[in-house]
Amino acid sequence: MNAIQNKYKQWTHQQWFFLALFIVCWIASIIFVNHNFSLYDRPIAKVINTSVKETTTVTDQYGNEDTQFIQEINAEIKNGAHKGKLVHLTNEYSMSGAYDQPYEKGNDVFITIEKSSDKNSQLIGDITDVKRDKYIVAVGWIFMIVLLLIGKKQGFYASVSLAVNLIILSYALDLNVNTGVNLLWIAAIIVILFTILSLILVNGLNEKTYAAIVATILGTFSSLLITYIVMELTKDQGLNYEEMQFLTRPYRLVFIAGLFIGSLGAVMDVAITMSASIFELYEQDQQISMKTLKDSAFNIGKDIMGTMTNILFFAYISGSIPMLILYMKNYSPLGFTLSMNLSLELARALAGGIGIVLTIPIGLYISLFFVKRKKAKS
Amino acid sequence: MNVLVVLAMILFILMVWIGGKKGARSFVSLFLNGLVVLTTVWIMNDPHTNPILLTVIACVAISMINLFFINQVNSKTITAFIATMVTILILILFIYIVTKKSMIQGFGEEEIDEISIFSIYLGIDFVKVGAAVIIMSTIGAITDIAISITSPMREVFKHQPNIRRKDLFKSGLTIGRDILGSNTNTLFFAFIGGYMGLLLWFKDLSYSFGEIANSKVFTAEMMTICCSGIGIALSIPVAAAINAYYLVRRREKKDDN
Repeated sequence: MNAIQNKYKQWTHQQWFFLALFIVCWIASIIFVNHNFSLYDRPIAKVINTSVKETTTVTDQYGNEDTQFIQEINAEIKNGAHKGKLVHLTNEYSMSGAYDQPYEKGNDVFITIEKSSDKNSQLIGDITDVKRDKYIVAVGWIFMIVLLLIGKKQGFYASVSLAVNLIILSYALDLNVNTGVNLLWIAAIIVILFTILSLILVNGLNEKTYAAIVATILGTFSSLLITYIVMELTKDQGLNYEEMQFLTRPYRLVFIAGLFIGSLGAVMDVAITMSASIFELYEQDQQISMKTLKDSAFNIGKDIMGTMTNILFFAYISGSIPMLILYMKNYSPLGFTLSMNLSLELARALAGGIGIVLTIPIGLYISLFFVKRKKAKS
Repeated sequence: MNVLVVLAMILFILMVWIGGKKGARSFVSLFLNGLVVLTTVWIMNDPHTNPILLTVIACVAISMINLFFINQVNSKTITAFIATMVTILILILFIYIVTKKSMIQGFGEEEIDEISIFSIYLGIDFVKVGAAVIIMSTIGAITDIAISITSPMREVFKHQPNIRRKDLFKSGLTIGRDILGSNTNTLFFAFIGGYMGLLLWFKDLSYSFGEIANSKVFTAEMMTICCSGIGIALSIPVAAAINAYYLVRRREKKDDN
């Protein structure tokens, strides 16, 4: 008990202030997302009660069995001209829920209201989508709190850098859509911005960070160059852009821009690991020979290579699982299923892997160069 | 020549050139992990199986490949393995609730044209599949954190063999904090890179902020980023605690003898 009390006594006014500010923001944002109905143009309704009216078992032409339900919903309209009125909604959903779901009391849904000629009759409407912003805010806060509790200062910087990067990205995409500046140029510029910002935010202003920034930029650009040359030489054979079909612009350019940004985080990670460990070794023993430094750094690189490529692999591949199941359950041939759904993801993972592995020697020699310069100065 | 084959060849050559035998093993591990994922998906096709349970089993196999195959089986990788599994088990319930509540399972509206030729009533619980997707996207990062904490903790223990359990745990946390930022960044950029097309699609169709924030795909993406960040952060104290407990117990056992 005493230990806890002492811990709190050590807290400064500033720290208490930040804690208070944090809690105020937290509560305010939760209240806000639960009461922001008036900010939306689309009508929103809160589900009051539901009942299942009909249950049917369906079997498709491949023998897949599923159950479909029809749900009658009464809901209260929360905004717009009909605010406060009750609306009657009908929802069809299936047990598997690939493109539908049951609703329950308390859910907020976007609806369209059917015009009825009779003024006294009950309003009738259809559900178009779910109001999900409150869940994003709730999980976003849990994310922030967990990161702050465990990561303390580093956790704070990590979440700040994520937020800043998201804003930059959104702004850059707007710039592309509104002014038509080439997407690749935009991607190249934000890659450099992301690198400088994230690395300085997490690691501070020092030579270790400068070495990592140079290594990251060189590593990303050279991996992209290699991938681009391969794509040109093979004329994109084996890449199926069908899963990007919904886009109304050239898929290929978007894909390449995605490659650029996708591997950036992993390349940054490798670059900072290489430079941090080389500088650490040098600080511990300033007389260390360049040869020993190089050998130990190579060993570190070998250790991180496998896990880093695997991180990217899973981050990319996992998203295709629902689509793979859909294709397989509809009896598409395996080869077709895989090439339709995994070709772009695999290309991303491989290009990222090339970036990771290339950054090991790049990061190593650049850090050695910075160490040598430091040595010469002292 | 196929782009994927050429890229895979380049990656293989680079990995062997820089990593030698370990590099070759790392490359093979990608293949093995791919096989595990495909097998898992294939078994998920049976509506009587539980996708979440299958994912846990797949995670066991994947962490074994990432830890025991790339590195060797030793006390370091075994503690990292236990830490990975404990973190995954803590995470699963949370991820399932998040997927269920925010209704991000299955397919988004941008995919509807592509899948209109298919039957979507398959009898498979897509909420559970959705939770499985988030767990799978994080597993690589969690094993990475676990091994990145356990190895340097060994070094600390070697240099200060009489260190108290609490201090050892604290040093594990310090190591973890240093890698927290770069690991969340790795996943963040990977997800953003994969979703570039979607983000542009929203902008092209001039979706309002409110429409983007409530759409299924955007929510799903944000949930994946947040859940994987939570997973990465959680694995730090878990790995540090398990390793501290193991190392100190081993020392006490030695002292008893």
